[in-house]
Amino acid sequence: MTAGGQAPAGRASAVEVPLAGPGLPAGRGTRLALTALRGSRRFGGPVAAVAVGIALVLLLQGNGFASTLVLDMLVYAIAAMSLDFLGGYAGLISLGQAGFLGVGAYGVAIAEVHFFSPWAAVGIGLGATLALGLALGVVAVRVRGVSFVIITLAMGQVLWGLAFQWVGLSEGDNGIPLTILPSIGPFDLNDPLTLRMTVLVVFAVVALLLVAFVHSPFGLSLRGVRSNETRMAVLGYRTGLHCYLAWVIAVFFTGVAGVLYLFVNQLISPATMAFSQDGLLVIMVVLGGLRSIWGPALGAVVIVLFQQELSIYLDRWQTVMGLTLIAVVLFSPGGLWGLVRAAGRRRDALIARLEARPGKRGGR
Amino acid sequence: MQQFIAQTLNGLTLAGIVFLVSSGFTLVFGVMRVTNLSHGAVYLLGGYIGYSVITATHNFLYGLAAAAIGMGLFGLLMERTLITWLKGNEMSELLATLGLIYVIDDVSLAIWGGSPLTINLPGVLGGSSTLPISGIVYPNDRIFILAVSIIIALGLYYLLRRTRIGAIIRAGVDDREMVSALGINVRLVFSLVFTLGALLAGFAGVLGGTVLGVYTGGDSDILLFALAVVIIGGLGSFEGAIVGSLIIGLIETYGTAYFPAVAYSILFIPVIVILLVKPEGLLGKVNR
Repeated sequence: MTAGGQAPAGRASAVEVPLAGPGLPAGRGTRLALTALRGSRRFGGPVAAVAVGIALVLLLQGNGFASTLVLDMLVYAIAAMSLDFLGGYAGLISLGQAGFLGVGAYGVAIAEVHFFSPWAAVGIGLGATLALGLALGVVAVRVRGVSFVIITLAMGQVLWGLAFQWVGLSEGDNGIPLTILPSIGPFDLNDPLTLRMTVLVVFAVVALLLVAFVHSPFGLSLRGVRSNETRMAVLGYRTGLHCYLAWVIAVFFTGVAGVLYLFVNQLISPATMAFSQDGLLVIMVVLGGLRSIWGPALGAVVIVLFQQELSIYLDRWQTVMGLTLIAVVLFSPGGLWGLVRAAGRRRDALIARLEARPGKRGGR
Repeated sequence: MQQFIAQTLNGLTLAGIVFLVSSGFTLVFGVMRVTNLSHGAVYLLGGYIGYSVITATHNFLYGLAAAAIGMGLFGLLMERTLITWLKGNEMSELLATLGLIYVIDDVSLAIWGGSPLTINLPGVLGGSSTLPISGIVYPNDRIFILAVSIIIALGLYYLLRRTRIGAIIRAGVDDREMVSALGINVRLVFSLVFTLGALLAGFAGVLGGTVLGVYTGGDSDILLFALAVVIIGGLGSFEGAIVGSLIIGLIETYGTAYFPAVAYSILFIPVIVILLVKPEGLLGKVNR
């Protein structure tokens, strides 16, 4: 943190010298730079969002490897953002989220194979995830911090164990394939392009909902609970209930990611719910940046790239991933999004310095 | 009936191995408040090192010693670097040790490959014998493991309850600040406890390698047993680790024998019950 605090000042002064040094005709150059910087402060976020959106739509048009990769990223981004909502804002880091991703997917797959139509199966899958979240939440949010991590880990493993061992229901290690996706009228998820666009839309909706939650009074009270639960309780907030709601929301959205996972891969097997996958989701969140919602989406992009791309060139990509996590924890607790934020602060500091300049010169 | 007795013995054997792993985990948590998620990976690495040394030297004891000492040193190194650097931030420690799991697993995979290995005990320990009264033929290696873990448990009990070091460790579990205020070098105690925990895990890795095998994923299996044990027994409680290990070892074994479809999952029923009824664990202290 100390390094991050010192860097902006150093960078700002380095840029300042050529812009308006003693020998340079200041004025126009400085004004231009200032306008550009203010513009980036004002419009940078929305422009980046639109650019990423357009890029995603274009990437998803193709049938090739790139669009498969992007779909994978979007699905895991939904799960990672949900986990960030719970872990970053409420302070409850869950190491069993892959289990709930599996519940959503298995719920749909089992319902479709054994009893129902595709749409009913989706309802049952999501309903099952919600019901399980409501039930297990009673146990999980009784504890905080490290104990919560351990307990959610245990829950994730129970779910994995059921998927792996309860062969009569889950087909065991083979997993369950999904052949027919839901469709209604012209809206047919069996059409690859429709499916891809649907995943993108669901991603956007979940992300915006989570951002809205974060900035709502509910989200603010969650931050309060994380930083000092006793104080929030004394102030009259029902902190347990807040944590419970955050848990249910996170579990449900992770279940949504699970349903999309099943649609995209058309197969769900216990491997998707293994302990290493639970860890992978946490790594996405921490690498991307806790408490930022968008950061974990970025983390999902990086980790999926690690998995799918780096693994082609490097056998030991898991070592690289593990070391990356350790390095992030040690040196950059804010993750990738923390770097983005630091850059934004640097820019703001630079704007402040440039704005202050005319006054200083007048005083000389 | 014979099968039930044999299963009970199997359960006790598993409990012995789980105890060796969970006692180290719980002591480290109790004294240092460090949740070492890589404890299972240390167990597995111990098993692999033991396997290699035994294969090379044809001496089981050398393998056992190499794994225990090697992992003890590994634990010391880890405590002196990673854990010290994180300065007591519980969640950062947990996340860093999570990252370490991927590194240890991946490096093990690179060195020893993905196929499961089995460690064989030498001579008479590799055979089996007929138990008195019941007439059950039972493998000697399991009896050996059970005996060794009971001896280690007694040794640890003696260390914790009857020696000065043990008194300091127990005091550290109760009140860390007070211990350091009394002029005891807490840093040294931390290193000692962490080293001891890793040493026990490495030791258990070789013992577990004989009956459970040394295999990719064995680390998360044993870690989950250990976590279940500490939730049941209470985080930081040595006696709780004994009780918890017995419960987990027996339930896992009976479950696998009689309810294979849900064996792994019923393991966590006592965990959930404990959390609902007594979240601090059977023998744990209320978190302050």
